[in-house]
Amino acid sequence: MSIMKMSDIQKSFGSNHVLKGISFSVDKGEVVSIIGPSGSGKSTLLRCATFLETIDSGIISYDDKDVTKNVNGKCVYAKNLNDFRHIFGLVFQNFNLFPHYSVLKNMMDAPVSIMKRDKREVREECMMLLEKMGLADKADAYPCELSGGQQQRVSIVRALAMNPEILFFDEPTSALDPELTGEVLKVIKQLAKEKMTMVIVTHEMAFARAVSDKVIFMSGGVIVEQGAPEEVFGNTRSERMKQFLQNYNRD
Amino acid sequence: MKKITALVLALIIAALTLGLAGCGAKTDDTANETEAERTSFTMGIDPEYPPFSYLGDDGEYTGFDVEVCKAVCDYLGWEFKVFAVNWDEKLVQLDSEECDCVWSGMTILDSMKDAGYIISRPYFDNEQVLLVKDDSEYKSSADLAGKDVAVQLGTSGEALLSGDLSDLAKTFGNIVTANSFTSCFTELAGNAVDAVFVDAPVAQDYVANNEGFRIIDEDFGAEQYGIAFRSGDADLCARVEAAIDAIIENGTYAAIVEKYPDIAGNLLLTK
Amino acid sequence: MTLMTMALKMASGLEKTCAIFFLTLLFALPLGMVVALMRGSKYKVISGAASFIISVLRGTPLMLQLIAVTYGPYYLFGISVSRNKLIPVVVAFSINYAAYFAEIYRSGIESMPVGQYEAAQVLGYSRVQTFFKIIFPQVIRRILPSMTNEIVTLVKDTSMAFTVSYQEMFTIGKQIANSETSFIPFVVAGVFYYVFNAAVSFIMRRVEKAMSYYKI
Repeated sequence: MSIMKMSDIQKSFGSNHVLKGISFSVDKGEVVSIIGPSGSGKSTLLRCATFLETIDSGIISYDDKDVTKNVNGKCVYAKNLNDFRHIFGLVFQNFNLFPHYSVLKNMMDAPVSIMKRDKREVREECMMLLEKMGLADKADAYPCELSGGQQQRVSIVRALAMNPEILFFDEPTSALDPELTGEVLKVIKQLAKEKMTMVIVTHEMAFARAVSDKVIFMSGGVIVEQGAPEEVFGNTRSERMKQFLQNYNRD
Repeated sequence: MKKITALVLALIIAALTLGLAGCGAKTDDTANETEAERTSFTMGIDPEYPPFSYLGDDGEYTGFDVEVCKAVCDYLGWEFKVFAVNWDEKLVQLDSEECDCVWSGMTILDSMKDAGYIISRPYFDNEQVLLVKDDSEYKSSADLAGKDVAVQLGTSGEALLSGDLSDLAKTFGNIVTANSFTSCFTELAGNAVDAVFVDAPVAQDYVANNEGFRIIDEDFGAEQYGIAFRSGDADLCARVEAAIDAIIENGTYAAIVEKYPDIAGNLLLTK
Repeated sequence: MTLMTMALKMASGLEKTCAIFFLTLLFALPLGMVVALMRGSKYKVISGAASFIISVLRGTPLMLQLIAVTYGPYYLFGISVSRNKLIPVVVAFSINYAAYFAEIYRSGIESMPVGQYEAAQVLGYSRVQTFFKIIFPQVIRRILPSMTNEIVTLVKDTSMAFTVSYQEMFTIGKQIANSETSFIPFVVAGVFYYVFNAAVSFIMRRVEKAMSYYKI
């Protein structure tokens, strides 16, 4: 059963046609990596999946329920978008933690004040999550007191605190110093081991290869190759991806 | 960077030095100027004090005092200038030489003489009156007990209310001090106060030109108008007084008085 | 009149000065936010109207607005001028300061990174929740220094109520200065304003400090 499905997604910014009919789905427990050169539409795809951008046409569905439908050639979104938002979480490239809230408050505020869950229960869950991430001692710290790597780990647990069925990562290590990327990747690997459903837009090829069940290579707004990592990396068919990997290895 | 700073500093110092030198030179000029060499004369007026001094329909200052002063200047061959003072700062502005006299329906107060100002002989008998709305039932100051009264800041009326008439003032509800008579009258017209305590000629002029107002006639003590000069300007005062005598003699003064019939009765200087 | 009686007499007007100050803050702070939000509205009519109002209020002297609010209704519609001058004075001050506050709020709101809105949206915050829980607290923190400037100016501007014959401290000071032919009341007034502003600055510094537990 697929948790998320996108079919024939089209998206333009003015005259810039960014997504040209993207279709893919994510099954429960699956880890999908999206790779490709900058400007290929990876991040836009993720932002469309999380409703930060509206698509021009196509169907997005979560848990087999359609979020968008086609009415007279126009793409119309469902009214209850917030119900769908609770299905997924998103980890931003720039963390986007709330600087005026402590680590614990960053995690607890949405479950408590948006989902109206019991405060004590949420606190216990959040503390357990922090414990697991080795951040328990930072519960009362403010984001500005943490390193970039710690901040990104906090933003991951903030997303997890909502108990999402699927977690999206938008280049989670791009804003970090190279020596700090390790701790974040380790957390994602740990989540993969626990069978967390994830979609990761990344530039870390070795990581994508190691952690993913499926790799999607995007270029120029279309999916050029997709498949198991051994297949996509080991048996690259398209010229575009070959070139991309060459450039990448040269760096 | 240092060079630029130095240059800017040098420029500032130069500007200041020149400026100060300029000021100094100016002060010297004034001090050295003997009265015989005077070429211009600046009268200080309250620009909202009809009929003695106000802005005329043509945009020029006019009024009884302004016309007399102009005639005096014409007679003496001085260039005539007008400076609108801030009435409650008038003596400070006189001292700082922004004008050569204060001549604008100014009530002579003992405190002015005590402070050393040269005051001309009085030229007008004044009294304070209460201006009220025609349709109000007030007939005397006693009727205004507990009511609000407006007075212009810096006028003899205000001085009276806080001095000799303070017992009367205490019976009023609020005393609203406004910074011009225009404000006082607006307050009255707009029902924000019940009466305005004001010089009789100003009230008469207002009643003559605006409908719906009347004057409560009551004796609040007499006072007189005069012209104020700086303490060292006794000569100037004498020359102005002599010139007034001269224009009274040649009929110019009478011609001006004719234009202001409302105040003619209280004028003191006549042939 | 001794310095003491002078100061006491002027202190009696201080009550009215304080009334202008606190009531203006009470009304202008929220009103400014409303105007700022109107200005940021996606409806052209609303945002256009808001920016026009702001430009008029910022582009004309406060003194003129005081006179317009106090005497305007009488001249235009024959409505009696209020006996309690505090009302028109506070109305004029509030709308004038709301315009300045609105611009400060706007600059604060515009300086917020878009990521804060996006993070809140993904977590399911509604637009109103996002504004009050996430954006507004951070905006306050960002604009505090410019707010302090504006509030210090307000303390000094209260003396302008004199234009419409409101008997606040400075008006009383002028009366004494006039009847006593003395400069001292102005010195006393200066000291009053200085002390008032020193208190304002002290409090604002405390508030800034209390809010600086996090870096932006």
